[in-house]
Amino acid sequence: MSALHGLVYLSVLIFLVACVARAVRIARAPMHLRWELQPVPHEKPGKSMYETVDYWEKTLEKNHFGELAVMIPEILLLRGVWEHNRSLWFPSFALHFGLYLLIGNMGLVLVIAIMALSGVEVGTGFGLLLTNAIKAVAIVGGGLGTIGSILMLIKRATDDGLSKFATPSHFFNLVHLGAIYVTVLLWALLDPSFVVNLSALYAGLLTLNAIPALSTIAMVHVAVVLLFFVYLPFTHMTHFFTKYFTYHSVRWETTPNVKGGKVEKNIIKNVTQPVTWAAPHIGADGKKTWVDLVSGTGEVKKEKEA
Amino acid sequence: MSCQYCGIQPNSVNDISKESEQLAKVDPKDLMPLPAPYDGDEYRPSIAQLKDSSREAHPASATLDGVLAAGAPEPKTKEEEDKIVQQFISGLRKLFTKENNWTFLQPLTLSMEHCARCQTCVDNCPVYEASGWNEIYRPTYRSEILRRLYFKYVRPGNKLLTKFQNNDIELNYTLIARLYELAYRCTLCRRCAQSCPVGVDNGLITHDLRKLFSQELGWAPKELHEKGTVQQLTVGSSTGMNSVVVKDNIEFIDEDISERVGWEVKTPWDVEGADVMLIENAGEFLAWPENHGCTAVILNKAGINWTMSSEIAGYDGVNYGLFYDDVQLARVATRHFQIAKDLGVKKIVMGECGHEHKALATIADRVGVDLAPRESILTLLADIVKSGKLKLDPSRNDFAITLHDPCNTVRNLGIVQPQRDVLKLIAPKFREMTPHGIHNYCCGGGSGFAIMSGNNFEDWRNLVSSRKKFAQVLNAFGDEDLNTDETKKYICAPCSNCKGALRDMLEFYGAKEKSGIYYGGLVELVVNAMPDTAEPLLDWDMM
Repeated sequence: MSALHGLVYLSVLIFLVACVARAVRIARAPMHLRWELQPVPHEKPGKSMYETVDYWEKTLEKNHFGELAVMIPEILLLRGVWEHNRSLWFPSFALHFGLYLLIGNMGLVLVIAIMALSGVEVGTGFGLLLTNAIKAVAIVGGGLGTIGSILMLIKRATDDGLSKFATPSHFFNLVHLGAIYVTVLLWALLDPSFVVNLSALYAGLLTLNAIPALSTIAMVHVAVVLLFFVYLPFTHMTHFFTKYFTYHSVRWETTPNVKGGKVEKNIIKNVTQPVTWAAPHIGADGKKTWVDLVSGTGEVKKEKEA
Repeated sequence: MSCQYCGIQPNSVNDISKESEQLAKVDPKDLMPLPAPYDGDEYRPSIAQLKDSSREAHPASATLDGVLAAGAPEPKTKEEEDKIVQQFISGLRKLFTKENNWTFLQPLTLSMEHCARCQTCVDNCPVYEASGWNEIYRPTYRSEILRRLYFKYVRPGNKLLTKFQNNDIELNYTLIARLYELAYRCTLCRRCAQSCPVGVDNGLITHDLRKLFSQELGWAPKELHEKGTVQQLTVGSSTGMNSVVVKDNIEFIDEDISERVGWEVKTPWDVEGADVMLIENAGEFLAWPENHGCTAVILNKAGINWTMSSEIAGYDGVNYGLFYDDVQLARVATRHFQIAKDLGVKKIVMGECGHEHKALATIADRVGVDLAPRESILTLLADIVKSGKLKLDPSRNDFAITLHDPCNTVRNLGIVQPQRDVLKLIAPKFREMTPHGIHNYCCGGGSGFAIMSGNNFEDWRNLVSSRKKFAQVLNAFGDEDLNTDETKKYICAPCSNCKGALRDMLEFYGAKEKSGIYYGGLVELVVNAMPDTAEPLLDWDMM
């Protein structure tokens, strides 16, 4: 096992642990008040529960495919940006889709690496098809991402709205992503054995066997990718998975509070916590709970006295 | 910054903490143009200057945009100023604790930490657009200030890394006083949130910013707090009416509507075990009494066993806590639920009031247990009208009608179709606004603005926050002659606060006199379509 093995596994481990930690922190937050926002796609199209008389006595149809119909074009094609920020769409789409292609390509490389390890001939037939596909996807993904990164950098620097809200990290992130795209593009274009070397790298990592010597551009690519793994979980770019929460746990979270239900149990847990808000009309002393503060008329009298 | 006689805008987010004569100013020339015949300069007047006394009372807040809706208390000494800064930091930290803000901790944290600052949301804000794209009204502007403070004081981590990722900001009293005022330049319509690809919600951020000021510093506009929730919880209604006064008023409304329809209409009070407990916005009883009268006519005609409650807060569905304070929200909602439980009613029906819908149906669904079911009057009304229980003649509504979709009823609850089903049956000249339904524009009076009119805030509301809606209304009636009041045009707005904003907006632009544009609720149109009433309900001269 080489130092590179260690670095790769450490980077991936940091990425996974930090992402999971963030997801757990968000998921473990207490159940919040409802804050849904239309459209709520799991409701029957055009049919909010509140449009039905005595809806609580009826079984309401749910359309889970509706959620997929929203999320797939949103994630893959950035539909929201297309509809609401058209001039940013192509730069952003190129930046994101380039990444999707490279992530997808990792799967293909994994397949060909396993095939090679299993002794399957990869120079002909399906293996050859896969080899060509990996190279093509790397070139298209790297090229698209490079264009996206450059256009996004220009937008960030020159667009009045974007530049006013930009932080140094926005530029760093774009340069960093750009470096990933440019290096993979150059590697794929300049190295005739690009796929062979890439699959050998994967095979070496999978088996803990020696990794073949890589070209400088390949080494730079690996380095920027590993740095990205370590850095990403600590940035707003984690929206790639926290989006699940903003949509499913907030916008589309419409679970009603029914007697004896899970929501009811969570409410009891929430409202029995002590409150420390300092404004006099709240009447909190650090011991009184939400229940103490909102029930009865005691607080109303306090308002009067105040 | 540009010259002081023209529109002023901050150059950067951090300008908010730098002392200056004024951070921003709306220049009438920058305002979004209105369609003809309201495209002249006379329809874009300047916002009135603040009186010296108002400026002296709230000097720092007044330097935001020269408008005062809330006005931060002015510290008299350096010690007091420092104390406010410390209180603000303390409140900011509490906003991110599960004990104090379990109510919105998860969505708030998500919105704080994952914004890409892509500005995809901004063009969807009617305030930002109508102002002529003034930076301080950009929906991301106040969010970004809070975000920078969040990373500086709540999740500081490594200082260099924090600055690298989120930029720095100087926290001082100037920032706090301006930010408090700025929290009342967003109607919380959440149109921006609908467009965010990541799911960040600037409306929620503004909402929680208001909570920080109210729940920690005790700062809130008097219309929402002292005259709003406190009066509702102590006297019974934010209108100041106690149960004796409200019963008197309703009796008068019943007598009046009885005369107009030609049969006796009576509002039942405190009926135990009723099928329906009706809670309306009590502002209706004073400003638009026919709305309650018509609701009573319809419920009686439909044979519904209904009641109203004379308990404190039981006859007023408003819940201004929704706009600025979770504890006050929970107190009002808890009263509503307790009253329904004590009376043993089968369900609460929420009158034509948007924020009552949001507060009672969804937000308050998680403030207690064993809660009475809640239903919208719009849903019930559609059921009644479609059932054929009412005899209706649509030709009595033979005038141009458009529909305003209240944000809280439509964008939040998704109640889109019932009101349209009703209009389809009673309004032959109905036409939609563009856009409509869940993508509607706010009336400009959302989040409490409709009842806030101190200082020069009403000017700002009419000129800026209601401007997009006014343009929509004019476009909806574009096929009618807008240069005459002879052809009547009716904006159906099934929400009390929206009606308040529309009333002020139409008056501000003189649209009733110039173009014959009127406004009202949905139940009025239903009763107006009843052929057996003694006289048509709508009396244009009285509207």
